Amino acid sequence: MKSIMIAAAQSVTPSGIIDRYPNSYNHFVLPFVIGISFIIVYLLIGLIRVLYHLTGEDRMKLLKSLFIPKTALKNIRDIFCDCLIHTKIWKRKPLLGYMHSAIAFGWFMLIVLGHLEVALFAPRHLEGITEGSLYYPIFYRFFIWMNPAHETLRGTVFFFLMDFFLLYVLSGIALAMFKRVRSIALGMRHTTKPSLADRVALYSLWAIFPLRLLAEGFTADLSGGSFLTKPVNWMFKAFFGNELNFMPTWWAYSICLGLFFLAMPFSRYMHILTEPLLILFRNAGLKVRKPRKGFAEAEIYACSSCGLCIDACPMNTQKKNLKYSSVYFIRFLRRHNNRKINEIADKCLMCGKCAAICPVGVNSPEIRRVQRETLNNNLKFDYSYLDSTSAIEKPKANGKILYFAGCMSHLTPKIIKSVESILKASGNEYEFMDKDKGICCGRPLMLSGKTEAARKTIEANRKLIEESGCTTLLVSCPICLKVFKEEYNLKGIRVIHYTQFVDNLVKEGRLSISKTSMSMVYHDPCELGRGCGIYDEPRHALESIGELKKAPKERDESMCCGYSLGSLTLDDKDRGKIAESAVENLLTNKPDCIVTACPMCYRAIRSKSTVPVKDFAEIFCDNIKLWD
Amino acid sequence: MKNNILVIGGGPAGLEASANLKRMGYNVILIEKESKLGGHLAKWDRLFPDGVSARKTLEALTDEIRGVNCFTETQVQSLNILDKSYNAILSNGITVLADAVLLSSGFDLFKAEKKEEYGYGIYEGVITNADLEKAFREKKMPLNEPRAIGFVHCVGSRDEKAGNPACSKVCCATAVKQACEIKEVYPNADVYCFYMDLRMFGRHYEDLYLKAQKEFGIRFIRGRVSEVAEMADGRLQVKAEDTLSSKPIRVTLDMLVLMAGMRPSEAGRSVGRQINLTTEDDGFFSSEDNLLAIQKSKLPGFFYAGACTGPKTLPDTLHEARSAALEIDRYIKENTREK
Repeated sequence: MKSIMIAAAQSVTPSGIIDRYPNSYNHFVLPFVIGISFIIVYLLIGLIRVLYHLTGEDRMKLLKSLFIPKTALKNIRDIFCDCLIHTKIWKRKPLLGYMHSAIAFGWFMLIVLGHLEVALFAPRHLEGITEGSLYYPIFYRFFIWMNPAHETLRGTVFFFLMDFFLLYVLSGIALAMFKRVRSIALGMRHTTKPSLADRVALYSLWAIFPLRLLAEGFTADLSGGSFLTKPVNWMFKAFFGNELNFMPTWWAYSICLGLFFLAMPFSRYMHILTEPLLILFRNAGLKVRKPRKGFAEAEIYACSSCGLCIDACPMNTQKKNLKYSSVYFIRFLRRHNNRKINEIADKCLMCGKCAAICPVGVNSPEIRRVQRETLNNNLKFDYSYLDSTSAIEKPKANGKILYFAGCMSHLTPKIIKSVESILKASGNEYEFMDKDKGICCGRPLMLSGKTEAARKTIEANRKLIEESGCTTLLVSCPICLKVFKEEYNLKGIRVIHYTQFVDNLVKEGRLSISKTSMSMVYHDPCELGRGCGIYDEPRHALESIGELKKAPKERDESMCCGYSLGSLTLDDKDRGKIAESAVENLLTNKPDCIVTACPMCYRAIRSKSTVPVKDFAEIFCDNIKLWD
Repeated sequence: MKNNILVIGGGPAGLEASANLKRMGYNVILIEKESKLGGHLAKWDRLFPDGVSARKTLEALTDEIRGVNCFTETQVQSLNILDKSYNAILSNGITVLADAVLLSSGFDLFKAEKKEEYGYGIYEGVITNADLEKAFREKKMPLNEPRAIGFVHCVGSRDEKAGNPACSKVCCATAVKQACEIKEVYPNADVYCFYMDLRMFGRHYEDLYLKAQKEFGIRFIRGRVSEVAEMADGRLQVKAEDTLSSKPIRVTLDMLVLMAGMRPSEAGRSVGRQINLTTEDDGFFSSEDNLLAIQKSKLPGFFYAGACTGPKTLPDTLHEARSAALEIDRYIKENTREK
């Protein structure tokens, strides 16, 4: 059979590469062609759908961003680092990172090198569909016969590279198989249960590369090969004699590829193709506006269902709450399971840890917020009293600091007392904006999806702040801080948290601090750390007071205290359990006391801690000279 | 017949039970962690609903315990279950082999500083019900000519966030009693009670409530206090909601009294942990049956009396102490007959 094929060879290229088949076609390519055509059509329709559901303004933003050199560069860098190399996973779990980059980057290189090879040695086949450009580069090794006498250095390098990357991918696949059996070995306590489509795609993905090795191995004596495919060829020859019946392996290889592409849109592997789009959207600065359409749809399909967020979720201290993890939220959104979507959306504490550790960067708390909006934004509210001039006193703070305590600080009067003492001790003049009557900062309303209501209070507050003539807005509650920073658009006014304020005073030497031998651990409040990116200032300032110990999980991996305003339905017992595990994490290195910088965290942690819990301002008040 | 009975806790329940067991002919060993007998009763001034003296009531109880081996400033160091008895090593070095144990460890007052929004321990003008009783008892009132005084009901009771959804049963009547008393001391002050709902379930409690309104002019506001702030002159600004008129209100007070509720006694719980006594969700010990056998624990020979199985009024506690004595007597007799 082989000799007939070779006899039918049509053209001889200078490098000694000969097409073994007339028309460069064989029936075995059909499964692959069907699969790849399906996925291309599906992707095109999907892309049009997603773009259609973006608002006109967002579309323009996206288009413009593609031509801004800085954003374009960032796009390229992000796509390379996140989609191919998976730097985020590498940083957290190196073995898991290796597995992902082996499969993603390895496969990518196989495709690129395969096309390069064809472009160099058989450029005719890239010229159009009729020349087999769809499948020819993929099955290049099947269609050619290489004259060993004409072997070139360039060809050998390609053979080597192809085998090298195939080995690279195979090592990743081996790890992936091992992970299925023992996920803990790769650093994952919980992993997701795959759906049917996931399984089909998963098993065909696993099979693709070993089959490719077999198929290319079987034909390695005809088409050439390197350190991997050649030995396979020799070995099988030793077993089966000279007449290798290679057709079944090529068929199997093609079928697996086809199956993978057919299952892809219904499986988690859609993330491979969606992630680049998500990166473009994110870098263009688009926002989620609807929970299932436009940007959100890109996020939903970019979720790789890896389940890293299950271990990260603070609710997982109880197994019954595992079902509220982001990965399941996204899964139910994708399946339009409305009842479950709303239940999960309302339960979430919105601590943002899942988004912080997500390898793809899916911001699921934001989608949950928008999902809440669909139900809660239409609820009735009446803030007409905000318009009457008598209800709220207008603060006057010409050139001074304006201090906004917020409702949670008012429920923890020690914090307010301490902040005021520090302000006085540092000789700063200030005005207390909500000492007596104040308006809600709007963040709790935003979190519960009552965006319209939030806009009312935000607008009223914004007016008060801008008209006060202050230069700095000092905030003692991170919940308020986040909304002041993100939604207020206060021009010419510096919005700072009291940890930043105190840190500045420490740096400028404006507080006379008595250093103690006390050891402390600092708890990162969600809204301050992950929410506003403030990790270093509180730590730096605290180091001037005593020894700062580390907690196993801190900074962007810090655990939520459990009492976040974000959850609309989590009950007190469950919250208590979360607080307990947060305290346990903080006490690992046996500090003398716990310090935090959020009134909510302060209350929660204090209720469960066995060591004293201090507010950041309070501990400074205890250790500075207040009045001369 | 000189069976040893160990009674843990020398409050009203422990005293009353000891007296009864002694009368039945048992050898009673009563231990109390404080230096004085009487528990919370020893710190109180007058008792609702009739305003009788706590001191006299306690004297009447202690008069009856002659012949009881009584150790104050003593705690259980270790407790072991033997075949049909309990072996307790006390902190004073004495070892007791008891045929039955009665736990009458009572309650601790809720730590009012946990409700930080009320400012206990932060603002000088904020005190608790126990602080006020102490002031009454020592006749050292903290204020001169106050203009307004407030009482907050349900501090640490019926409050899921404070970790206690249950009612503490006695605070409503205590608050009304204290409000009347304070009005007697300061007739010119306005007195407010902030309540959720008033649970005036006992005989004469309702009369007390009516008297408070009619004779003393105490103003009852249905709604919880949301926050308390200190003003420049040291007075307190209290924000609350009047849920009957659906309006937020704010009043300026000279003193705010927090009606701290009942929590399980920590000393009692540490005894319980020695022999793995079970507690219910509220932290109080679980009885064999909440209707028929509230004095019995799930361990043979181990009994309860008083507030260690949940908030109780003084009369309830005394009844339970007596019935626990009867149960212990029955248990001992049945056990000896088997021998």
